Parts: sequence; C-alpha cells; structure tokens
Amino acid sequence: MNLKVVKNLSFALFFLYFFLVSIKLLEKGIKTLGAEYTDQLFESVSNPFAGLLVGILCTVLVQSSSVTTSTIVGLVGSGVLSLEYAIPMVMGANIGTTVTNTLVSFGHVRREGEFKRAFAASTMHDFFNVFVVIILFPLDHITGFITRMAENGTEFIIASGFTATKPNSPIKAAIKWGSNNILDGLSSIPFINNLSENSYRIYAVLLIVIAIGLIFLCLKNVVSNMKSLMMNQIEIGLDRALARGGGLFAILIGILITFSVQSSSITTSILVPIVGSGILSIQNAFPITLGANIGTTITAVLASFVVDNTAGLTIALHHVFFNTIGVMIVYPVKFIRNLPVNLAVTFSNVVAKRRYIAILYVLVTFLLLPLLGVVISN
Amino acid sequence: MSSESLDSIDAKLSEMLTNSMRIYDLAMNCLLGDTNLDSVRDDLYSTDKKINELHRDVRREMIIHSAVNSRSLNIPLLLSYMTMSKDIERIGDYCKNLFEIAETGNTFTQGDELDNYIELRNDIGKLIVYLQSCLNLDDESKVQDLITLGSSLSTSLDDKITALLENKEKVQYPVATTLLYRYLKRIVSHIVNASTALIMPTDKIDYLDE
Repeated sequence: MNLKVVKNLSFALFFLYFFLVSIKLLEKGIKTLGAEYTDQLFESVSNPFAGLLVGILCTVLVQSSSVTTSTIVGLVGSGVLSLEYAIPMVMGANIGTTVTNTLVSFGHVRREGEFKRAFAASTMHDFFNVFVVIILFPLDHITGFITRMAENGTEFIIASGFTATKPNSPIKAAIKWGSNNILDGLSSIPFINNLSENSYRIYAVLLIVIAIGLIFLCLKNVVSNMKSLMMNQIEIGLDRALARGGGLFAILIGILITFSVQSSSITTSILVPIVGSGILSIQNAFPITLGANIGTTITAVLASFVVDNTAGLTIALHHVFFNTIGVMIVYPVKFIRNLPVNLAVTFSNVVAKRRYIAILYVLVTFLLLPLLGVVISN
Repeated sequence: MSSESLDSIDAKLSEMLTNSMRIYDLAMNCLLGDTNLDSVRDDLYSTDKKINELHRDVRREMIIHSAVNSRSLNIPLLLSYMTMSKDIERIGDYCKNLFEIAETGNTFTQGDELDNYIELRNDIGKLIVYLQSCLNLDDESKVQDLITLGSSLSTSLDDKITALLENKEKVQYPVATTLLYRYLKRIVSHIVNASTALIMPTDKIDYLDE
C-alpha cells in the first residue's frame, strides 16, 4: 500500500466519520429548535408535490443528492419530519441530482455532434428519473407499497441484530462521542455559550447551519478522496463495461463505482464526455446510469446508522427500494428501456440545433418550475 | 493522476511497436528474400489490423482516462500519446505499401545493391526496437540518440531518392526502388516523430527542423 493510498483512505475515513457526526449534530440542532417551530418549518412540505419540488430545489442548490438525502435522514431520525413528508423529498433529490451532468454536457457545446451525444447522455438520466417518479410517486402515495417494504426491511434489520442499528452500537457511541466533543467545544465559545442558555433557538439554528455545512464539506471530501483512491478501478470498470457493451454487467459497474465514490454525479458525469466522444453509445451508457441510481442510495443508509429514530433507516431503505424498483420497471422490457433514451436523443437533436434551449431547459426544469411549484402549492 | 491506466497505454504502444516490427520484417523479407508472398499475405494484413485495433484502444483508454481524471489531467502527455500512436500506426501502413511493391513482382533479391538493402533493413529495424526500448525509460539522452540516428538515416534516404530522380544512379527497377526508398524514409520519419513526442514540448512535436 503506497503513501497516496494510505493518505486518501485516511482522509476518506476521517471525513466519513465527521459526516456521520454532522448528521448527529443536525439531529441535535433540530431537537433543540423544538417541535413547535419545526412543525411550522416543515408545514410547507406537507403537500407531497411541494415536498418533491423542495427535494429538487435543495439538491440543485447543493449539487448533491447525497447531501439532501442524508439531511432528510437526519430530519426523519430526529423525529421532526415524518416519513410521509420525507418520501417525496427524496424522490425530488433523485431528479435534482441530474442537473450536474447536464451542466457537464455544456462543456461539449462547441461541436454539434459531440454536444448532441453528450446532452442526450445527461438528459436520459433526467427523463428516467422523471419517468420513474411519474409511475412510482402516485402508486406509492396511494398504496404505500414501497413504504411498507421499507418498514418491513427496517424491522428485519433490527430483528437480525445488526449492530449498527442497536441504540448502544459502537458506531453510535463513537459518533456520539465526536458530536458531544464538538458541542462542548462550541459551548466553550462565550458568544455561543450565552446563546445556548438564553436564546436556544438561535443556538439551534446555528447548530443546524453548522451541521448542514459539515455534511456538505465532509461528503465533498469523502467523494474526492474515494475518487482518487478508486480511479484505476473506475477506469478498469468502465473499460470492461465498454468491452461488454452494456447490459446487467454495466448496471453492476454503475452500482460499484457509485458505491465506492459515494456520488452518482461522479459516475454519470464521467459518462458524459465518453458518450460525447462517441466511444460509448448512449444505449450502453444507460445501464451504467441506472446502476449509479442504485449505488447512490448507500450514503443515506450510512447516515441512518447514527440517528436515534428507526424511521431514519426506513427512509434510507425507501430510497434503496424506490431506486431499485425504478430500474426493475424500466430496464427489463426493451420498449420501456428505450423510452428515456429515445426521448433524450430526440430532445438533444432539437437542442443541438438551438443550443440556447439547453440553458433554458436547466433554468426552467431545475429552478423556475420547482420554485413556482413550491410557491403555488403553499 | 492514475498511473495504471497510463502504464496500460504505454503497454499498448509497445505492443503496437512489436507488431510494427513484425509487419516490417514480413514486408522486407518479401522484397529482399525469396519468401512466398501468398504465405505471408494473411499474416501481414492481420498484423496491420491488430496495430489499428491497438491504436483505437489507445484512443479509447485516453478518453476514459480524461473523463475519470478531468481535474488532474496531464494534457501534454495525452497529446504526445495521441501523436505517437498515430505515427506508429502509420509504420504498418507503409509496410503494406512495401509489400505491394513486392506483389507487383519488383523484388531486390539480386544485384550489387542487395547488401546495402539488407543493411538498410537492419538499421531501420533497429530503430523500431530502439524506439520501443525508449518508451518505458525516462532517458532523454537515449531518445536524443535515436532522433540523431533516425535523422541521419532519413537524410541518406533523401539523397538516394534525389540521385534516382536525377538519373545519377542506375538500378534494375528505378520506379520500384524510388518507391522503396520513399516508403522507408516515411517509416524512419514516423519513428523520429514518435521519438520527438517522448521528449519535446507539445508545440514542437514533429517539427524537428524548425
């Protein structure tokens, strides 16, 4: 093991630890804020459609679905956000995360053919996620079948005695130790100490802001260190996926790459220039994207191990089941599988001729529509 | 930057050169020996195809490498790989041209010049092997020696072509001999160009004289 590997691995573990600590801090901040205030705060997402749009907006703003879903896990784990409200937000995070690779495709804007392919490679992820939300969002809202699967999964994991889910698990103890030390450190600052005694709500908001900032910072560093660590494996994996030409193997590669770097945006953004250059067809890139959608759910599962409330694990499992079922609906039947791909190709043919549409698309789909939707639904 | 993928590109370039040496030997043996052309034709064309496939592999690996390492990319290195792989691929093409001379019935198995042709064949063959040995060595002086050797060989081939064009030299097949020297000169030039990619700044690759 060379020095670079040791350095990257140490940093990744260090930031992963503080990522989990920041989830705990978020939980603490939310609890300090008090139920009265948090109820008011989350009233705006009591409408599932608004929740979906908030999920999109938040993810677009932080450019990471993992940050959004981990925060949601923290909120659900602290008991202030119910599963019912959190589910549409997680679905929204799925859609919002695709903006990153759409922005990456803009790097190919100078050459029409290349841009056409790159833009199609990025928007097929958008179409897939919207497609799955259109099918599963109302279905789960009415029947609650994915929610039940997630609840059963939670019960099963707890009953199986999986250490991380136990209240006195070593992971929880280690995280609690870290968060308590940070809280003690913060309290030793006179200004904050004064706040925590007199203006506890300001203190709680400060804690929430610090926690969300830490979640963002730590995840960013986990991703960059894991990416450095896994570069060779990513290249080998993609090369093999290219040689095999898609299929289930490509889904597996997508899962493994995303699982190892903790970011679906990294996987899908890598695909964009490869498809843009023409060495990987959009049809063969699609299963890798689907794999990335499954692989990205691991971050929320990790976050759920540190929250007190088991509903945190349930929302994380809901994310896993939702994304996996989405792939199972779309991938096996060729006609359905081709729908998001063909829509993306058709759309990119139009956009390649009038490139300003690409900018309008991003602004309208990922910012204006969600903002307008939130305003109207409230 | 991930070094394993770059090692893989180095290995592919080396494999391209191994195949280039093979196709060169096959073509030159047809011109200077009594090799049965039919017996080597398939081997020669399949070797060229292998070189082309390796060339495409190098390009594909470079794209994947660029996509994965977008933030820590050594662009000059990748551009040098691009130009090197192209130069090596061209060696195979000129060897096919040499074989086509043999196919027209113009061979150089007899005559006073045979020893010179054989010496020329060996010198150029050594350059290909030399270039291959330079790939994995971080030795600028060795590459510089290769460029000097290649340039001097290239000049002597130019002189031979000029002598033939000015009718100063009498040979059995003037057209075929001119083409032979011309193709060998192109092979040497591509070896020299590939060598310049190893040590020269990106903007000066291929422009040794300027």
